[in-house]
Amino acid sequence: MDKTEYMRLSSISENEPNSNNSSIVILDKISKNYNGYKVLNNVSFHIDEEDIMGYIGPNGSGKTTTIRILMGLLRNFEGRLQIEGIPVPARIEELNGMIGYLPQHVSFQRWRTVDQALKTFGRLSGLNEDILEERIREVLKRVDLSEVRHKKIVHLSGGMIQILGLAQAILHNPKFLVLDEPMASLDPENRYKVKQIIRELNRNGTTVLFSSHILSDIQDIATKIAVLNRGQIMHTGSMDTLRTRLHSTNDIDIVLSSIFKQTLDLTKIEGVKGVEYPQPNRLLVHLKDKVNMDEVSRNLQRFLMAGSYSIRSFTPYVPNLEELYVKFINGGDNQ
Amino acid sequence: MSLKLLFKDELKGFYKSNVMVFLWIGLPLVVTLFHILTPNTGDIPFSTMTALVVSTLGGTLAAIMLAVSIINEKEEHVYTLFVIRPIKRRDLILSKFLAVYTCLAIATVLALMFGLALDYFYGTLPPESMLSGTFFEFALALSMIAVSSAVGVFLGVISPSVLVGVILVIYVGNQLSALPMLSISMKLSIPAMIPQVLGGLGLSTPSMFSWITEIPGSLRFTFVIGMVLVMILLAASIAIFRKKEL
Repeated sequence: MDKTEYMRLSSISENEPNSNNSSIVILDKISKNYNGYKVLNNVSFHIDEEDIMGYIGPNGSGKTTTIRILMGLLRNFEGRLQIEGIPVPARIEELNGMIGYLPQHVSFQRWRTVDQALKTFGRLSGLNEDILEERIREVLKRVDLSEVRHKKIVHLSGGMIQILGLAQAILHNPKFLVLDEPMASLDPENRYKVKQIIRELNRNGTTVLFSSHILSDIQDIATKIAVLNRGQIMHTGSMDTLRTRLHSTNDIDIVLSSIFKQTLDLTKIEGVKGVEYPQPNRLLVHLKDKVNMDEVSRNLQRFLMAGSYSIRSFTPYVPNLEELYVKFINGGDNQ
Repeated sequence: MSLKLLFKDELKGFYKSNVMVFLWIGLPLVVTLFHILTPNTGDIPFSTMTALVVSTLGGTLAAIMLAVSIINEKEEHVYTLFVIRPIKRRDLILSKFLAVYTCLAIATVLALMFGLALDYFYGTLPPESMLSGTFFEFALALSMIAVSSAVGVFLGVISPSVLVGVILVIYVGNQLSALPMLSISMKLSIPAMIPQVLGGLGLSTPSMFSWITEIPGSLRFTFVIGMVLVMILLAASIAIFRKKEL
């Protein structure tokens, strides 16, 4: 990629922080139509070398389509896509062995054992025979599938097949790992294991893109997130930038020791804009702009104590990803 | 490189899923059963009858095996993990075709040898004409199975479901695979006409093709029509498979 091209791609989206020299993947105004329906509309973002990027969006928002375009599985689309400076899909074969991919619905031929599947995919990814055996042993040990190495895949549970899918994706030590809903069918123990593996791979220099519906998983491991809704990128950046973008800092999270009776009207307190009740004993108090937070906090505490409520906690509200996401998808972005 | 690897892999798959055993033991068993049920085949040598039975049965088996396997693997997204790797989609198709064809060709040869043994045992075919007389049967059976296999690949690639695929194989597969048999009924040899046509134009048959003219006309027709059909069907299958979003 020459310098002019690089500069052009660096300003690909209003929402998109500038890509830099360490950008391994650059999507530039990618659009995809299915039977006249625009599944992706000018999707632009970049992934840097050190990133674990979480890709989130509602069902049908276009996450899997984006991933399939990235993998060269969908070839007819508008826009430009580059991985390591190589245009995809035109020259995707030059990325031999550089990418690992776990599809959303991973499937293997019925007759294969775990060992046979990994041997075939290892060989097809270009691993030499002399290191293949050792590498399979290593990867199976890492994903805890050593015991089923010679079992037929059809006899494995859904979760194990998903983990085997991850094993084939990381077998050839890819530089860029793409995981489509990697934790969807896993129990908590396996989800924890997969997250550990993703972190470990990233520490060792693998760039990761993964989509998930389980937002807590994304919150746990993603260093950057991209939010997709109805085929359009709504946000890319860190969790903190999303929080800053959406969250009014004038919110207070109050947990009481007993159920709050909503007959007590907190909006009577000066500076309080509104109240939400996420749980029977939890209040989320929205304050008006430019109020004296300390004064309103004192008044709130007094008001509640006068109503014979014991306060268990009283903290500035920091939304989790799920709350931010719902707010975002429902059009809560006022900026 | 990937074709060789995938071909070996497919063969391993047939071995592991016992397909080979069912074919290699099954087809000679069918021949035995046929012999028990129809001991008297009139003037027709038993090996010729065997060739017809085996090529029809083997051809249908090949077409169904390939069509069902390709449709199932497409539906289950098995190919995704292959096509993201540095292999050619063409090799996925060719490896399947070659593996099924190899398995069935061996089964066919085994069954025909068995038919020949029965002819020899009952003296229905003179020992001196065993080789020359049965060469055509072998070629016909192998040619029909090659066409059936190619039909199976093509229908597997284009069919949206297993049921549709199987119906199409039964409707179309048998008809197409019977084309090499035209040489029997028509007693006509297109390849034999080529040197005549070229000669009429004052041209001679290129030396690299002269071997064609040395084999009997009906055998040449069987061979040529089989090859042409297989190539057309496989080329079309590969072209469609390349464009498919797997």
